[in-house]
Amino acid sequence: MAGPRSRPIDYAFYGLLAVTAALFVFEIFFVFLKTPTEARMGIVQKIFYFHVPSAYSMYVGATACFVGSLLYLVKPSDASDALGRAGAEAAVTFGAIMLTTGPLWGAKAWGTFWTWDPRLTTALLSVLIYVAYLVLRSFAGDGDGERRFAAALGVIGAANLPVIHFSVQKWGGQHPTVITGKGGGLQHPDMKMALAISFLSFTLLAIALIWARARVEIVQSRLRRAEEDAIDLGLDTRTEA
Amino acid sequence: MSDTTTANSAPHERATTGDAPAEHAAPAGDAPDDRATTFQPVTGAQPEHYSGEVLLVSAYAILWVILIAWIALVWRKQSALGARLADLEREIDKAAATKPQR
Repeated sequence: MAGPRSRPIDYAFYGLLAVTAALFVFEIFFVFLKTPTEARMGIVQKIFYFHVPSAYSMYVGATACFVGSLLYLVKPSDASDALGRAGAEAAVTFGAIMLTTGPLWGAKAWGTFWTWDPRLTTALLSVLIYVAYLVLRSFAGDGDGERRFAAALGVIGAANLPVIHFSVQKWGGQHPTVITGKGGGLQHPDMKMALAISFLSFTLLAIALIWARARVEIVQSRLRRAEEDAIDLGLDTRTEA
Repeated sequence: MSDTTTANSAPHERATTGDAPAEHAAPAGDAPDDRATTFQPVTGAQPEHYSGEVLLVSAYAILWVILIAWIALVWRKQSALGARLADLEREIDKAAATKPQR
């Protein structure tokens, strides 16, 4: 927990973690014990309450990556680079959850785990873009040039996000239109409440994880610089690249 | 969240869930004795293959495995940083101790 040298921002972080954990416990209770089972699909419909918010959290991560990358291109700093990298990792993590829970739902609803539907294909493409970003960051070094190249990928990669969102409206396909302005599909107030709680808990989780990851990345950059300074002063400190 | 629609209108849904087509219905006279002694082939579309319970538990387990794996990775990175920081502090202390006093 927060130590003697903790700042208000540390307390905010731990507060966010506590609220997120409490919300997840409540969400699990609500989804599995309170929300009614769907009449035609049965219990497998409850995947919906995790699949859709995880897709949304992937957007949150991708947006963080976009913002961090854009800021880095405008004014390079460790913080903006860290935000870009943390956002990309969150996008891959939540994207992986989305891409594994979705087919399990599809197995029941469509009778097949995967189909090259426009939304599925564009979502897979987006996750692969962020995987490419992370591979680049892992293997291409951590100089300013590499950071700039990755930031450009983070900005360009975000262009696919609206394509995922509007792919169903534009090209049809099997994937249902999950959120529309026309109302409708969740036929019980508890179902709507379960989805709302899931959205909130996944959003907070995504923010907490991006925050935690970005903090580690910022510390890593500062430590690397301190090690370089120490080497310049004749101290041999480096134990790991 | 009144503006949501679920995935309840998927194309194969009725073929895979509760609304079983007529060919899936139990034939007349489907007593336990008949079931044990008379074997009939399925006609028409195959009945569903996947258990909803298994799919739900799998999805839920995968969700937590992926999240915990990422958190463990971040934790490991942070531990590595702690070790590097300790090395740096040790070297600085060593250099400070050997520095000639003025």
